[in-house]
Parts: sequence; C-alpha cells; structure tokens
Amino acid sequence: MQATSRESPANLLLAQLTESARKKVIGHLAPVELRLHDVLCEPGDRIRDVYFPVDSSISLITPGAGRTLLEIGLVGNEGMLGVPLLLGVNTSPLRALVQGAGRAWRLDSATFLRSLESVDGLRATLNRYLYVFLAQLLQTGPCGRFHPVEARLARWLLMTRDRAHSNQFRVTHEFLAYMLGVRRVGVTSAASALQRRKLISYARGNVSLLDVRGLEAAACACYEIDKKIYTKVFRPAGGRGRSGGGRLLASAPVSEITYYA
Amino acid sequence: MSAPVQPQQNQILNALPELERERLFPHLKLVTMPLGMVVYESGAALRHVYFPTNSIVSLLYVMQDGASAEIAVVGNDGVIGVSLFMGGESTPSRAIVQSAGFAYRLTSNRLKQEFNRHGETLHVLLRYTQALITQMAQTAVCNRHHTLDQQLCRWLLLSLDRLSGNHLNMTQELIANMLGVRREGVTDAAGKLQKAGVIRYSRGKITVLDRPKLEQLSCECYAVVKREADRLKVQHSPLN
Repeated sequence: MQATSRESPANLLLAQLTESARKKVIGHLAPVELRLHDVLCEPGDRIRDVYFPVDSSISLITPGAGRTLLEIGLVGNEGMLGVPLLLGVNTSPLRALVQGAGRAWRLDSATFLRSLESVDGLRATLNRYLYVFLAQLLQTGPCGRFHPVEARLARWLLMTRDRAHSNQFRVTHEFLAYMLGVRRVGVTSAASALQRRKLISYARGNVSLLDVRGLEAAACACYEIDKKIYTKVFRPAGGRGRSGGGRLLASAPVSEITYYA
Repeated sequence: MSAPVQPQQNQILNALPELERERLFPHLKLVTMPLGMVVYESGAALRHVYFPTNSIVSLLYVMQDGASAEIAVVGNDGVIGVSLFMGGESTPSRAIVQSAGFAYRLTSNRLKQEFNRHGETLHVLLRYTQALITQMAQTAVCNRHHTLDQQLCRWLLLSLDRLSGNHLNMTQELIANMLGVRREGVTDAAGKLQKAGVIRYSRGKITVLDRPKLEQLSCECYAVVKREADRLKVQHSPLN
C-alpha cells in the first residue's frame, strides 16, 4: 500500500490551497487508514476531528432507529467531514460511517478552527464545498421520493466508485438497504436487475462495476446533476485565479482528476 | 387587532446585537408575501434575502418532469436565500409562499457587506444553516419512509411553530405540490384529521384544535427537527 504523500494531498479541497497555504496546515494533518464500517461520529457527539478523505468514503446517515434511516450524503476526496464546524456548531446531528475503507487526512477541531482564520483561501474553498454539500443534500429527498430503486442503486454505486477510485469495492445488501432506505429484498431485486443487464457483478458482498457507461445511463439524473454542480462551483485547474491550483491538480494521480472532469 | 409588524418578530433579526441592528435595520424593507407567490425560482440569481415575520415559505425541489418535492419550511425562525452566503450566486430550489403574511427584505449586497465584517450576523446565519441542514435531512427521511398522513401532521406542526395562534391560511393545492402528491391525497388526509377532531378545515383556513393529538399522529421527524433547531438557538457563544 503506497504511503500517502505529504507533497500532494490528493483531497481536492486541500489541493485548492496555494503552496504556501498548504505548508501551514500540512504539518497538522495526520494520515489515517479508515476501516470499513468504522463509526467516526454518532448523532449528538462533539466533533473532535475533521477528515479529508483521499480514497475512502464516508456516509452521512440520519439519526433514527430501525429502518427509518437514510444516507443523505457521501463524502470522498471531493469533500470533507465536519461541515457543522464551518457553521459554528460543534456537534453533529448525523452519524458518520466509513462506507469505503481507505486513506484520509485527519485534523483536530481546534487546529481546524484556527486554520480557518489563518490559512489563506481555506475558508473560501470550504464555503464553496458547503454550497455543493447543500445542493447534494437538496437532491436526496426528491431522489428518495421519486426515483426507482434500481436507478438509485446505480447512482450510489457510481458515487462510491468515484470516491474509491476503483471499480471494485465491498458492500452488503443489508448495508445498501439502510443507505437507500429500502427493504433488503428491494436491494436484492435491484442488484439482480443490474447484474442481468451486465452492468455489475455482485457476489458475497463484492461489487465489480463492469460497464460504467451503462451504469451512468441506468442511474437517475441526480448523478449527473451532482457532478455538474461540483464542476460549476469548483472550476477545474486554473479557475478562480489560483495559480497554484492548476499545478497541484496536474501533479495528482490521473484518477483523481478525471473524477470531476 | 394585530400588533404592528417589526423586524424583531423574525428570530434571526432578533438575535443580532444592538450595533449590527443599527447598521442593518434601516435597510430592511417590509414586503407582503401573498399566498402562492414564487419568491425565487431554481437557478435564478439571488438579489434579496427574506426574513419572514408571520409568513411561511416552502422550499421545493422541482424535478425534470415537473413533479415537486419538499425540502424545508422557513418562517420567522429563519431566512430565505441561505445559499447566498456560501458563495453560491443562485439556488437549486424554488421558494414559494405557503402561508401569506409579511417579511423583511434585504438586498444581497447589504447582507454580504455585513457578513464581511465577521460579526454576529454571520454566526447567527451559519447556525441557522445547520438547523436547515437537519431539517432537510429529516425531510428526506420523512419523504422516504413515512405515510402522507404523518407527513401532513409534521408539516402542520412545523408551520404552526412559525406562526402565532393556531390558524393557517393555505390551499390544498399548494400542500399537495409541496408533499409531492395529488390534491385528492391531501383532501383525504385533511378529512381524516377533521373527522378525528384534530383540525377544522374550511375554505383554505386550517384551525388546529388538538395540538397534542397532532403531535401524536406525526412521525418522529417533527421532534428531531424541533430539538435541533431549539438547541442551536441556545448555543450563542462562538466556538473556541
């Protein structure tokens, strides 16, 4: 497993910072390995750390018992976990659960809050992410209300793939049922349909995406809309006059750039 | 005979310290919010933000096929145009007046000027955003898991909390659009509540007769949203 390089963060938000701004914060970022199903935060918990995923993904899940939960956000290397801190709130109303194991940068809350004031461009970049986060949240309600499970499953698989930087990952039917807010039998049936269409292969908790273009066509419109919002707000290399940004993105591995290309 | 409208009737404006009120209040314009008025359309540039005093605005998401789904309810507890201070120049939702009344309007430029001072205005609005996020998340859960009857109860409660008294002026049409159902569904659900003596409903006016019963019939989503909103109002001191 390659060590996380301190030179290129590979989290797209951190990559937006200028060279000198990054130098200020890089010493405080701890590289961590997030394990599948680790709970990083429970509803009502004080937020101790913020996380900037690299190739891991974190689900944000509403509080609630039994079946009445829903995944309302998925955070990968395009984002950060700890939005309430940006809003001046030090507890989270949501559960944060590691959905895709992998690497992340961790920063303790106190340093994070200080950095918002002292690191040039950090607050502005994170405000833009806040906008994207909100826009994606807006999408979740209508998606869950109107879109068929199969299309929602396709969307979920694509979003996870984007953040895992891999066409293979692990997830159980049970888990998917919680994420999508449907009964397990609904997941099994939707997954079988996607398999029959030769878009995925799914056995014993291992998913392989076989036909990404096909999955994009099968997914609900929300997948494309999400991506469009992100690219509109975070115009790629060279946008917003940050001369450092262009070079940073160019030096990151190709898979991270094509995510939102 | 009702009291004269004043900015303090909006909780955000009421939470501002004296100095910031002195700066902002002269620029607030009192506007009427008629039932059904589209405050802004999705994708439109935000020229103003609105602070309701006794009106209620629903934020809706309009799908490509025209169907709409509810995102949140904003009344005297909040502000319409939240995306503005995140650097978004427009918003992906539509805001429509659900219950007629008044609001104070402020130009986006004035608000941005105030934000840039990094005073209490910014902090109050950011905390409100967190309350709104919780409401939006819980609404998504509710839309996914709960019955129309439960959703209607939740929605009536949230609206009532944002008004004084126990009357709501609204149409079945607007409620149906907001809950993403056909009008007949709302008629049925409202009819059931009326039969059970929980509300009285006639000619666009809903009177809540039995609030405790309404809370009982609602799903837990109402309590979750209210708890978080109350908690955030209490938390005044900035983080250290």
